[in-house]
Amino acid sequence: MASAPQSSRVEAGGSAERLRDLLMRQDLVLLVIFIAMIGVFSAINPRFFSLPAAANILQDFSPVVLMAIGQTFVIASKGIDLSVGSVLGLSGVVMALVIRACNEAGYDPSLTIGLGLLAAMAVGLAVGLVNGLMITYFRLVPFIATLATFGAAAGLSLVATGGVQIAGGPQAVIMLGNKAYGGAFTVPVIAVFVVIAVSWVFLAKSRFGRWTYAIGSNAFAARGSGIDVQRHLIKVYMLSGLLASLAGAFVYFRLGSGSPLSGRGGELSAIAAAVIGGVSLHGGSGKLGGTVLGALITTAVLSGLIMVGVEPNWQQIVVAALIAFAVGIQSVRGPSAGGTS
Amino acid sequence: MTARAPLYAVRDVAKRYGHLVALDGVDFSVDAGEVVGLVGDNGAGKSTLVRVLSGANIPDSGEISLEGTARHWRSPQDALAAGIETLYQDSGIAPDLTVAANVFLGREKLKPGLLGKLGFLAEKEMREDARRELERVGIAVPSAGRPVSKLSGGQRQAVAIGRAVAWANKVIILDEPTNHLGAKQSAEVLEIIRQARSKGLGVVFISHTLPHVLEVTDRIVVLRLGKVVANAPTSTFTPDSLLKAITGLA
Repeated sequence: MASAPQSSRVEAGGSAERLRDLLMRQDLVLLVIFIAMIGVFSAINPRFFSLPAAANILQDFSPVVLMAIGQTFVIASKGIDLSVGSVLGLSGVVMALVIRACNEAGYDPSLTIGLGLLAAMAVGLAVGLVNGLMITYFRLVPFIATLATFGAAAGLSLVATGGVQIAGGPQAVIMLGNKAYGGAFTVPVIAVFVVIAVSWVFLAKSRFGRWTYAIGSNAFAARGSGIDVQRHLIKVYMLSGLLASLAGAFVYFRLGSGSPLSGRGGELSAIAAAVIGGVSLHGGSGKLGGTVLGALITTAVLSGLIMVGVEPNWQQIVVAALIAFAVGIQSVRGPSAGGTS
Repeated sequence: MTARAPLYAVRDVAKRYGHLVALDGVDFSVDAGEVVGLVGDNGAGKSTLVRVLSGANIPDSGEISLEGTARHWRSPQDALAAGIETLYQDSGIAPDLTVAANVFLGREKLKPGLLGKLGFLAEKEMREDARRELERVGIAVPSAGRPVSKLSGGQRQAVAIGRAVAWANKVIILDEPTNHLGAKQSAEVLEIIRQARSKGLGVVFISHTLPHVLEVTDRIVVLRLGKVVANAPTSTFTPDSLLKAITGLA
């Protein structure tokens, strides 16, 4: 039995390094920022710390976090998905059209809503499949491929609706989307929390998540290890499309209608939430907990600014500053300090 | 005329890219418990031959045989499944993943029962197994749960090679494994290669660093412009004669 050579030992971190790792954990830093933010807004306007305000933030947070979860998987694989905002809009109007048609045909409300939801999900999966195929088989860079579907999906929503909102669903739609339990939790909001929990575990604990990080970290090594990288990337973009379509369904339930203009700029909110949450654009890292906090912070800060009387036009600038700050932290810490589990 | 088929061999392999002839009727073989050095100048065809041996490239013509049986790799997965591991130059490791995740990359162990069917990873088991497998090939890893990016260059390479040696059960192909390593770390890599040989693996060692090739190999194959120009026991080469064989200058 040969003894191991000394310098190929992989050293364990000392306690000082562990402490530094703890301070470097972006999710903890974000939690502190979030709590401090709530404190500041509540001090200026006590109504910010109330159930109605929280309910409102949750309604804004839900579609953003759904898109941001997909974005986390995509960015961890070293890609980007610019199509999510348009997919939100397109899946929302397709859902609205299907539900209106079923409603007019006199279908049962639950069946009508179910078919609408399936149609929305099919739209998201289809756009994700197109993204994935363009990126893998036609070798387009993700930025360009998803920019193309971003434009195409936005255009399709306008063509399908003639540019107007589509209502005409059964009364149950509005009930489902707006009846709040415990003052803040509608059925769609609860569903979003379930999606968050499942995706969290899926990214951190499953082989799918592991391969996503591996491809983002070193696609060549992943391929050499026997992973079917193309197939996996197609699944990742389909997941992102599916989550964006659920965001579309969420907005439909909230408003009771599908607008072709819904989701405009949604890709930026989603990317912002993920990046603020510590997902590195270099790929290979990022945790879902960070993304959820990122989405919470970006939506709460917008709501808080309105409640403390800041002019709405300043909001974009504040979000832009948050993104710059988060990316700045990332580059100071180096490309792979985020960790993966 | 050999009475017994070599462990892993290619015969009369040709590969061209357009007008460029990368391999032109190449014979190459490695036996169990043998370290074969593959050397040649840039553009001699080394990388193409490595890709053919690892299943990443399908040759235009020629035969591949493992333990005397003809094989046709359609992808690297085919060769991996047959026990042929390849460590590509500078790229065998995903730096953001932990040591254990890298060792098990593409071959993850799943939890038993329903959780496993849902794709849940048996994280703890993989960490323990990774540490044991790496120790078995001579690399001590106190913390298999650290991201590889936190390791030094030499340690990363040790993990990459350890991973390949641990998984290989027939042949291991190492493309420039001592590149960018210091003298001490290179010596450790060469020691791992010797251990792989003593375990009965066939080792293909590709390197530009001729002293390493002369030190660790049993036999050297020299490629020049897509052809084998020398194939002889290492003891018959001197540094000078090896360099002459590579460059073709008298």
